[in-house]
Amino acid sequence: MITSAPQLALLLLLAAPSAASLLALVPYGAVSRVAARAGSLVAVGASVSLLVTSASGTWGPYLGVDALADVLLFTVTSIYATSVWYSDRYLRAVHRPYLTPQVYYALLSAFAFTMIAALLVTDLGLMWIGIEATTVSSALLIVLERRPTSVEAAWRYTLIASAGLTIALFALLLLYTDTGTLDANRLAAAPPALTLPVLMAVALALVGYGTKVGIFPMHTWLPDAHSESPSPISAMFSGVLLPTALYAFLRVYRVLGTPVPATIQDLLLAFGLTTALAGAFLLQRQRSYKRMFAYSSMEVMGLALTGVAIGGIALYGALILLVAHAFAKSAVFYCSGNVLRETGTNRIDEVRDLRRQMPATGAAWVLAALAVTGAPPFGTFLGELLIVAGALAIGAYWIAALFVLAILVAFVGVNGQVGRMVFGEPAGGATEPSRRADAGAGIAYLNVAFALALGVASLPYLSAALRGAAALFGGGAP
Amino acid sequence: MDAAAELVGLVGVGILLSALFLQSESFVGPLVRGIALQSLLLGVLLGWLAWSQQNLDLALLAALAVAVRAVFIPWVLDRQIRAFRWRLREVHAAQRVTSHALAAIALAIVAWFVFQETLAGIFPQPGGALPFVLLVEGLLMLATRGNTIVQVIGYLEEENAVVYAGALFAPHFPLFVEVVVFLDVLGVVLVGVILSIQRDVTGTLEQGGLEELAG
Repeated sequence: MITSAPQLALLLLLAAPSAASLLALVPYGAVSRVAARAGSLVAVGASVSLLVTSASGTWGPYLGVDALADVLLFTVTSIYATSVWYSDRYLRAVHRPYLTPQVYYALLSAFAFTMIAALLVTDLGLMWIGIEATTVSSALLIVLERRPTSVEAAWRYTLIASAGLTIALFALLLLYTDTGTLDANRLAAAPPALTLPVLMAVALALVGYGTKVGIFPMHTWLPDAHSESPSPISAMFSGVLLPTALYAFLRVYRVLGTPVPATIQDLLLAFGLTTALAGAFLLQRQRSYKRMFAYSSMEVMGLALTGVAIGGIALYGALILLVAHAFAKSAVFYCSGNVLRETGTNRIDEVRDLRRQMPATGAAWVLAALAVTGAPPFGTFLGELLIVAGALAIGAYWIAALFVLAILVAFVGVNGQVGRMVFGEPAGGATEPSRRADAGAGIAYLNVAFALALGVASLPYLSAALRGAAALFGGGAP
Repeated sequence: MDAAAELVGLVGVGILLSALFLQSESFVGPLVRGIALQSLLLGVLLGWLAWSQQNLDLALLAALAVAVRAVFIPWVLDRQIRAFRWRLREVHAAQRVTSHALAAIALAIVAWFVFQETLAGIFPQPGGALPFVLLVEGLLMLATRGNTIVQVIGYLEEENAVVYAGALFAPHFPLFVEVVVFLDVLGVVLVGVILSIQRDVTGTLEQGGLEELAG
């Protein structure tokens, strides 16, 4: 059992976003916005307290945390908070929104609540419900801007993600049939025999939850949903929804114990590297900058999965990569929201000269793009470096080579296009700077700064939690 | 084989035939009635298993299968079709329905043999391969059909497959009723909300006309 302070934090983590969601529906003035902001800040505070106290243990039969949950709870609540704060100006610029601000904030907080709940439960069945609930709570947010393409994206997202999760449920059925329990902690403490149903369960969980992570070839919903969502929601999709789905898979994966059977390790490597390479190459041919960043998220998820497969120091690197990417990618999408709001287009060809038109946003976009593509000294670079080091340490040279290839291709593609949009000369002459258009860029700078801090400093509590999370899977820091 | 096992196998074959019928049909009305029939058959099967095992969870699942997937969702889908005065035949599938049916039969045979070769020894229940076949058929429908209502039917078929597998292999699966309620909620959200928004915003229920989401 965990002590009273973490219990209070757990309670606040569940209560704050759910209360914010309900209060947001009050049709009075700015109640919805204030409730969402207050709820998100309380949630961040609670997650920080879990990190500070290194909370680990269970509370009742279904709730519990450990280092991995602590890290992801902090990440989810932080991006939830920054998205809530960024949403206000973004919503004001949306012409004829499909959702009222009340409904938008209610769904946004409900979306955060479902992710937090998925991270707090120790029962794999409840975790599945939490991940499925993220689909229900987030699908309608995609259609905010009332475009036909947004509706199609919401449809694809709901259908493909749910189809994948049905496969994940099949995996849990197999696991339960063989082990008689779905308690993640019990299964991890005493890993079951590696029978065919258990191995099939892990493989099917990879396919099932992998659909929600954006693993190739089940990724097709991802670029649509990320690019068609309002930017604060794109930030939450890319930054924290994908890692939360990966977390659910990791809980099933942990059942295997160590060492992981070679068949499963090979399967993860195959899916991870293919996803990273597919994302890196597919982003090259995108016409929409939001779609390009969506494929970049897919590439990073592939890199992280590869790190998990390699294990050891690479697994530690994968966790750093996930956290740093969450902050950096959310910053990218906040900047994208500013650019979309000011230029009215999401097409790369039609955006130029942002350094003059939107200097603060342009600079933040360049920095954030460098951060998501693993430029030194950001945390993403550190994470990717550790994964490469892990691959080289076990003599997997071809894996390291393919991994670096994916990074380089994505780096050149993303930064080349962002560079053109920020520094490129406009066809119709120089544009006038607009201070109004830069509103909200400060939140992007904040998140980029955090991604940078992860790379250059050993952050108190968070670094320890990352090491503890890697240790759960037999991984370790250098 | 005793009479109870024969009954389970017989209803299972009925479910399989309904799945093959869904693959070979391009008219939306019969497709909606087909999934209602499949859900009703599943409800009968679950009801029988609940009675024979004295299992309350299975009884609740049987009630859900009948009430939500055999009656409520088909009723809403039927209203959607009538209200929109939309053509009652899926445009793209109509031209290649034979190939759909052939692919569905081939996939059913492959899934059957894969199950027999891998998991049949672990799950010896009569008709144990049928939920796996049904899952594959549902995935095929989702992957190959372009009409929104037909895709909803594919989703419901997948849900039926999971419930079928759970009832046969793990009737005491914890929180199974809650999980199925969640799947049903998602089904209702799909049908009730997103279909309405799609109709309002795009004016059609056919997918594939939106070229913007390419690449």
